Amino acid sequence: MLEAQSLTRVFGDTRVVDDVSFTVRPGRMTGFVGANGAGKTTTMRMLMGVLGATSGEVLWDGAPATAELRRNFGYMPEERGLYPRMQVREQLVFFGRLHGMSTSQARSRADHLLAHFGLEERATSLLDDLSLGNQQRVQIAASLIHQPGALVLDEPFSGLDPLAVDSMIDLLHVEAADVPLLFSSHQLDLVERLCDDLVVLSAGRVVAAGSVEELRGHGEERYRVVLDGQDAAWLRDVRGVRVDDVDGATALLTLDGIGASELASTVVGRAPVLELARVRQPLSEIFREVTR
Amino acid sequence: MSTATTPRGLWKVVAQREITTQVRSKSFVITFALLVASIVGMIIAFTLMSGRTSTHEIAVIDQPGQTVVTTANDNAKAGDADVRFTISEFEDAEAAEKAVTDGDVDAALLPSSSGYDLVGQDDVDTSITQWVGQTATQLALERNAGESGVDLGALTSGTQVGERLLDPDAGDNGLRQVAAFVFVLLFYLMALGYGMQIAATVTQEKESRVVEILAAAVPVRAMLWGKVIGSSVLAIGQTVVLAAVGVIALLVTDNGHALSVVGPAIGWYVLFFVLGFIALATLWTVAGSLAGRQQDLNGTTAPLQMILFAPYILAVTAGAGVKTVVSMLPIVSTMMMPYRLAEGDVPMWQLGVAVGTTVLAAVLLVRLSASIYERTLLQTGRRITFKEAIASSRKTESSAA
Repeated sequence: MLEAQSLTRVFGDTRVVDDVSFTVRPGRMTGFVGANGAGKTTTMRMLMGVLGATSGEVLWDGAPATAELRRNFGYMPEERGLYPRMQVREQLVFFGRLHGMSTSQARSRADHLLAHFGLEERATSLLDDLSLGNQQRVQIAASLIHQPGALVLDEPFSGLDPLAVDSMIDLLHVEAADVPLLFSSHQLDLVERLCDDLVVLSAGRVVAAGSVEELRGHGEERYRVVLDGQDAAWLRDVRGVRVDDVDGATALLTLDGIGASELASTVVGRAPVLELARVRQPLSEIFREVTR
Repeated sequence: MSTATTPRGLWKVVAQREITTQVRSKSFVITFALLVASIVGMIIAFTLMSGRTSTHEIAVIDQPGQTVVTTANDNAKAGDADVRFTISEFEDAEAAEKAVTDGDVDAALLPSSSGYDLVGQDDVDTSITQWVGQTATQLALERNAGESGVDLGALTSGTQVGERLLDPDAGDNGLRQVAAFVFVLLFYLMALGYGMQIAATVTQEKESRVVEILAAAVPVRAMLWGKVIGSSVLAIGQTVVLAAVGVIALLVTDNGHALSVVGPAIGWYVLFFVLGFIALATLWTVAGSLAGRQQDLNGTTAPLQMILFAPYILAVTAGAGVKTVVSMLPIVSTMMMPYRLAEGDVPMWQLGVAVGTTVLAAVLLVRLSASIYERTLLQTGRRITFKEAIASSRKTESSAA
C-alpha cells in the first residue's frame, strides 16, 4: 500500500502541493485527476523521490518509504524520455539491469513486453525511428520491465489512439494486478472506465478521494422516467419524489423518501412506461462539483 | 546465466552502456584510427629525418681547397658523423659564387687574404662550418708550423678541448622532444575529446528527459561514477593501445634504443593520465549537468577547456623553472611531468608531490562534483551557472547537517 501523507511542496512563495494525503491500494487502479497545474506531476515526482518534499512523507505499508524501496517502483514521467539513439530491446534490457535484473532475465522480460505490443519486429530499431505511439509503448514497457512493486504513471494514455489505449489497459491489468497503481489523466471518460479509486486534486489540495462508487454516492439517487406519449408533469405530485426537470414525456427526478421499486410500481400503475432508469452521475460532473 | 546486479554494482551497468554506445559510434572509430595513423606517421617521419646521412657539396677553385674538403670528408667519416662532403670544381670565385646563388652547391670554399672564406647564400650549415672550417684551420696551422719550423705538437699542447658528456642520452634530444610533445598533445586531445563527450552525454540525458527515469531507478552517484569510469576506461584503454602502437612502431623502424629513453616516461604518463583524467572527468559531468541543451555546452565547458589549454601552452612555451613548479600542480602535472620525464630526469620527490597533489585534487573534485551533479541533474530545460550550482550544493549540505 502506497500512501502520501501531508505531502507539501513549495516553490518560491507558491505552495504547489499543499498537505496532500491519499492512499493507493494494491490491486486497484487509482486515477489521479485535476486541472492543469493542480499539482499532479509534482505530487507524483515526490512519490517517486525524484523531487524532495518540503514537508510530509511517503509511506509504504505504513512505514516511511526508503529511497531503495522506491527505486523498485515503475515510473512513467510526464515528460517522456528514453535514449533516442539506442535500440529498443537494448534499452529495455538496460533499464531492467538498472533495476537489478540479470541480463538474461531482462532480455526475456523485454521480449515478452515487446511481443505484447506487437513490436518484436522493431526490437533492434533505434527508438528515434519509431512512431510516437510506439515510443510511448516502449516507455510503458520500460516502466514495467522489472515487475515493479508499485506503478506511478503520469498521463500514460495521452496521445494514444483508442486501440492502443485498450492494449495498454490490458497490459496494466495483467502486470499490475496486485500492486498499487496510480495514474494521472485528463481523459475523464477513460478514468471512469478504468478506475476503482479516485483522487481529485485542485490547486494543490485534495478535494475528493475514495472509491468511485463512494464518490458517486455523494450525489443523490436520480432517475429518469420516459412515458409513452403522456405528459410527465403529474409526477410532481407523487410523494417521496422531487422532480428536477420535466420535458414533455420525460422527467428527471430524485428519490426523496421512497425506494426505487416503490417509484417503479407507482409509475407503472398510473401510465404506460417506455423507460425508467437510474441516472449515473458522470465523473465529469463529480469533477466539476468538487473542483468548483 | 549472469548473476543479478546488486545495488552497489549499478555503476557497472551505467559504465557498460557508456562504453558500448561509444565504441559503436562512427566518430569514435574514426578518431581512434586517425590517432594511430598519426603516431605511426610521426615515428616514421622521425626515423627518416634523423637516420639519414646528409651530403654537402662544396665548391672549390684550387688544389688546397680540394685537399681541405677531402680531408674534412675523411675526418667526418672517421668521426662517425652523419655528414659527408663532396667537391665541385669551378674556374674562379665568380663561377663558384654563382653556383651557390643558383643552389647547385651548398657552400663555396674560397681563398681570401687571411685564409679562406666559406661562402653561403644566406647562411652556412653548421656542419660545414664545423668540419670544413676546422679542417681548413688545422691544415693552415700545420703548413705554417712546418714553414717556420715550429713544433706544432708543442704549440698546441694544452689547447685541446675535449668533450665529456654527463648525460650521453642528450644525443637523443630530437627524439625526447618529439616524445614530450606527443605526450602533451595526446593528453590534451584525449582529455578534451572525452571530456566534451562526457558532458554531451549528460546533457543528452537531460535533454531527452531520460534522466528522470534514471534518477528514479538508480542513485545519482552511481550514474556519475558509471559515466566517469566508463569514459575513463575507454580513454585509458585507448591511450594504452596508442602507447603500444608507439612502442611497436619504434621497434619495427629499428628505433629500439629510443625505448630506453622514453620508456619510463611512457609508464609515468599512463599513471598521470589515469589520475588526471578521473579528476577532470567528474568536472565534465558537472559541466554537462549545468547545461540544459546542447547549445549551452560551449558556455558551461569553457572553464574546463581553459584548464586544459593553459598547461598545454605552458608545456610548449614556459622556461625550465616555471615548468618545474607547475609540473607539481594537480592536473597540470598530467601533461607537464611526462613532458619533463621525456626531456630528462626528474627527481623522485617531485614525482611524488605531483602524484600526491593530483590524488588529493581528484578526491576533492569528485566530492564537489558529485554534490553539484546531484543538485543540478534534475533541473532540466535551462542553463545553470557554476555559482548557482555551488551555492545550492552548499545550502543542501548545511541543511543536511
